[in-house]
Amino acid sequence: MTDNVMSFFAAWMLTHEVADEGLKAAVLRGEDGGPEGMGGGPDAFVNGLAAMVAEEKEKLKRDLEARARGEEVAIEQQTDPAFEELRFEVGELRGRLDNIEGLLETLVRKSGS
Amino acid sequence: MASRRLTIISVIARRLIAALPAAGFGLASGHVRRTAFARAWRQAFEDLGPAFIKLGQLISVRPDEFSDELVTEMRSMQDAVPAVPASVIRNVIRSEFACDPEDLWATFDDVPLASASIAQVHRATLAQAYKPVWGEELPAGTALAIKVVRPGAAEAIRADVAIARSLAERVARMRVARRFDPVALLDEFAATVDRELDLRVEGRFADRFTFDFRDDPKVVAPRIVWPRTTARVLTMEFMTGWRLSEIDVAKANGVDCYALAVHGATAFMRQVFEYGRYHADLHPANLFVTPDNTIAYLDFGIVGYLTPEERMNITQVMAALVYRDPDRALTYSAKLGVNVPPDRVEPVRAGLGELLDGTFRPDGTRDFAHFGLGFLKLLGQHGVQIPSGYGLLIKSLATVEGVARALYPEIDIVETAKPFTTRILGKAMGDPARLNERMPAAIRAALREIVA
Repeated sequence: MTDNVMSFFAAWMLTHEVADEGLKAAVLRGEDGGPEGMGGGPDAFVNGLAAMVAEEKEKLKRDLEARARGEEVAIEQQTDPAFEELRFEVGELRGRLDNIEGLLETLVRKSGS
Repeated sequence: MASRRLTIISVIARRLIAALPAAGFGLASGHVRRTAFARAWRQAFEDLGPAFIKLGQLISVRPDEFSDELVTEMRSMQDAVPAVPASVIRNVIRSEFACDPEDLWATFDDVPLASASIAQVHRATLAQAYKPVWGEELPAGTALAIKVVRPGAAEAIRADVAIARSLAERVARMRVARRFDPVALLDEFAATVDRELDLRVEGRFADRFTFDFRDDPKVVAPRIVWPRTTARVLTMEFMTGWRLSEIDVAKANGVDCYALAVHGATAFMRQVFEYGRYHADLHPANLFVTPDNTIAYLDFGIVGYLTPEERMNITQVMAALVYRDPDRALTYSAKLGVNVPPDRVEPVRAGLGELLDGTFRPDGTRDFAHFGLGFLKLLGQHGVQIPSGYGLLIKSLATVEGVARALYPEIDIVETAKPFTTRILGKAMGDPARLNERMPAAIRAALREIVA
């Protein structure tokens, strides 16, 4: 039983190690992937994506370290896109009303002349 | 109408006959002959006025239907015509608003800023403060650009389209063109021009553009003054700076051309890949730069729209170019309506592979125009019909590349597209619907790999 558990964790650890090495290699290939190194088709996309994820990871790591040091980390203030969209729709509606009002003024001028 | 029909036929015949010596009376080599006649067609279209100038612009985005020589000639079509007198423009404004320009704006300049086949632009100043659809209030005295549709332009264009359509129907009956459907081309053209003739459509797109780029102060579009706008008169913010066609002056004034080229290309990618609505008439005269490296987009007369599905499929095609993956390009082009017959898939795939491998310039950067226009041509050679939106988008991307290269010759637009396409596809991978669809196959593949 103990042997089975040990074997299971050993396999689990090995899987992680291999996956981690594979990912690190993909990140390196993605970072190096200039125009000459992009002939790999779908694999090159995975490498490129891995490099971008690694960039995000490094940023997250820096933020966490800064927080651990007690530094204030600027959190990006994202306005709710739906709210922004709504504001724009209202603005656009106002623009249309302004346009109709201008048209009505023209009609009044035309009927008065 | 009959006399106009005669004029059209005689102008085209005169220009084609004049081109005969340059074409060696039909005996010159194919390229020389086609170039001479293409130039004659372009000159005839310029002679025939607005409708034909616009038609030429449409031909310039269809390399799948027309020869390289004709497409190249039509691309150089000049849409600059002599200005109409200010009194005529004032009459249009009076008929639209029932008052003089001085009653609408604090000042109105009779000297035009620009004059094209459909509209003419004059300078003015805002009489009272106005809160536009998006952004800060425009204070009284703000410099304005007033775009006015030339009198008779709409009627002349519609009449010419009707004549050209009846001629096209005859051509279609003669079956002289293999794949080219002149009637469908003219119908597409009529729809485009109809949108362009209503300036309110352009104004709404400009507002939307301002909203889309609200987080980027370096990309702007003129904001619209709606109470002073009608279908034939557009009142918008005046943009100061230099047109890209005057880039040497901008350089002398300290504009950072590399930053501008990258930012301009990136802004266009955002329009296509993020928003699915884009400026489809980009050329150096429609872009302004300011000394602080801000890019102003002007003239939203021709725009393209993409559904979310089309946007994703186009992103995949772009990713195929970035990562040189012909299978991906073919799979997702098919989803965009580019249906390659089964017996033509292999040669098209081989041709596509060659195109992807041959996109490099001697300096190591990639050439999108070579790929995009070459792809359209390749599909045309194999008798594959191309949806018009697809051609328009490829032409727009090729134009953006040309504009960016005019600013900074070493820019690699494909490399600029890489983060966009990768990020968007990466984001799409996390979509629950897609995960639900793909996960069983992924697990099966993983299990096959483990037990192999």
